[in-house]
Amino acid sequence: MDSWVRFNSQSQAKERVIRAAQYACTLLGYTLQKGGAAAELHKTIGQLEAHMSLTRKLLRLGNSVEALESAKRAIHLSDSVLRLCLTISHLNRAMYFACDNVLWAGKTGIISKLDMKKWSERSFRYYLFALILNLTRDLYELRLLIDCEARHRASKHPPSPHPGSADQLSSPSSSPVALNAPPVMLAGLRRQLRLLATVLYSNPPLSLDLLKNSCDIFIPLDRLGIYSTGSGFVGLCGLTSSILSILTLIHPWLKLKP
Amino acid sequence: MDAVVQFTSQSQGRDRIFRATQYACVLSIYLLRNKIERKELLAKLKSLEAAMSAGRKLFRLGNTINSIEAAKRTMQLSDRVLRLCLTAANMTRALYFVCDNALWARNVGLIRDINKERWSLNASRCYFASLVMSLSRDVYVILQLMSQRARDRHFREKMDAHLNENPEVAGVVIPQLDAFLFLLLEIIKSQPAVALDTLKNICDLFIPLDRLGIYRSNAGVVGFCGLISSLIGIVTLAQPKFRLKP
Repeated sequence: MDSWVRFNSQSQAKERVIRAAQYACTLLGYTLQKGGAAAELHKTIGQLEAHMSLTRKLLRLGNSVEALESAKRAIHLSDSVLRLCLTISHLNRAMYFACDNVLWAGKTGIISKLDMKKWSERSFRYYLFALILNLTRDLYELRLLIDCEARHRASKHPPSPHPGSADQLSSPSSSPVALNAPPVMLAGLRRQLRLLATVLYSNPPLSLDLLKNSCDIFIPLDRLGIYSTGSGFVGLCGLTSSILSILTLIHPWLKLKP
Repeated sequence: MDAVVQFTSQSQGRDRIFRATQYACVLSIYLLRNKIERKELLAKLKSLEAAMSAGRKLFRLGNTINSIEAAKRTMQLSDRVLRLCLTAANMTRALYFVCDNALWARNVGLIRDINKERWSLNASRCYFASLVMSLSRDVYVILQLMSQRARDRHFREKMDAHLNENPEVAGVVIPQLDAFLFLLLEIIKSQPAVALDTLKNICDLFIPLDRLGIYRSNAGVVGFCGLISSLIGIVTLAQPKFRLKP
């Protein structure tokens, strides 16, 4: 119970829980529609989802400032790729939150005559750019770790001149080289996949962040019409990424740093 | 900037800012109610207030557990009066949150067959009870501090000096009252946390008093008192030394 109190006291945690509930409503609405449930229930779920979306916008009113502060911190990173990716990602997130605030003002009636569709598309575009940069950063870190792991393995098991394998690879035998190529490629591919699996298994923060960003990217792709997947899939992706980010809030060691 | 970010990262900090905005809207709506040329601004203020109120109800969904946890903690206090007042205040506040959550579910459409007016009155009654218990605790703490101070010799010398200053002043006609007020002012100056908490609870009290019909003021008074108590709440959260413990 005490951990719930501490969790609840962070406003980001509350926003994540409401996000999980919102995408659960999206998923529920889709399954109800598929299952042919009553229109009344479907309307209630739709209204609940809209209410949660608007409340989340209210809760996010100050987040542009936070994103700018994170961008200011990211400028001082030593690694240049990380510095570039993270700074631009945070700046895009700040723009996304600014558009989101304008949308909230339009939806609650503070700004009248707002082109909701235009601003909504604008905000999703910034969100998409931020997610692409986050994914780039994840893949860059993954690449670094895979190289590191490959070097580590090479240093532990230096390639010894084994007669059996050498024969197969470079034997001047009668069989043509083309027949030997697929097993070589397959072995190389298998080795790379094993490396990837090892790196992902031993770095849970990176795997979690990669999975979260991959799930998140389907939401703006669907909303902007670039790759329409339907509300059910979007709901499922949103719910998964919300649950993963709640996990990183409960266990701070799971958060990818910087 | 850093302090602002840290303040808003606490969910209570954000809630207090929204509450202050909500009651500022209520006050502004009351002040502008007769101005025909400001009709559009009035409509915008009303929709802002409604948005804040609805949003805050959703944020408060988890607070019942917070209040029950706080009640469990205050049951361990050593002082009997404090234990009684604070536990009762926390339990009635938990009941208030339960009523509030039911009202939220009704507004959103999840529950349909509850009497909105009855539950709203119950919520106000629980809130009123918790404010009365908090005020009793404040009064008890002030009386305790006053009796402690009165026994202090250094202070008694100061009070005697003040009383003998100008015997012609009207306030000294009732010397006991003058002494009492002097002691009270001393306590307020040296213990700002108690004073702020008392003022906050008194301001908050006007809201359920108006809602329950016990002391009908107008929307302007409710808005003003709500705004003052929210601002005091923001100050106590930003500066922990102004928060009354336990």
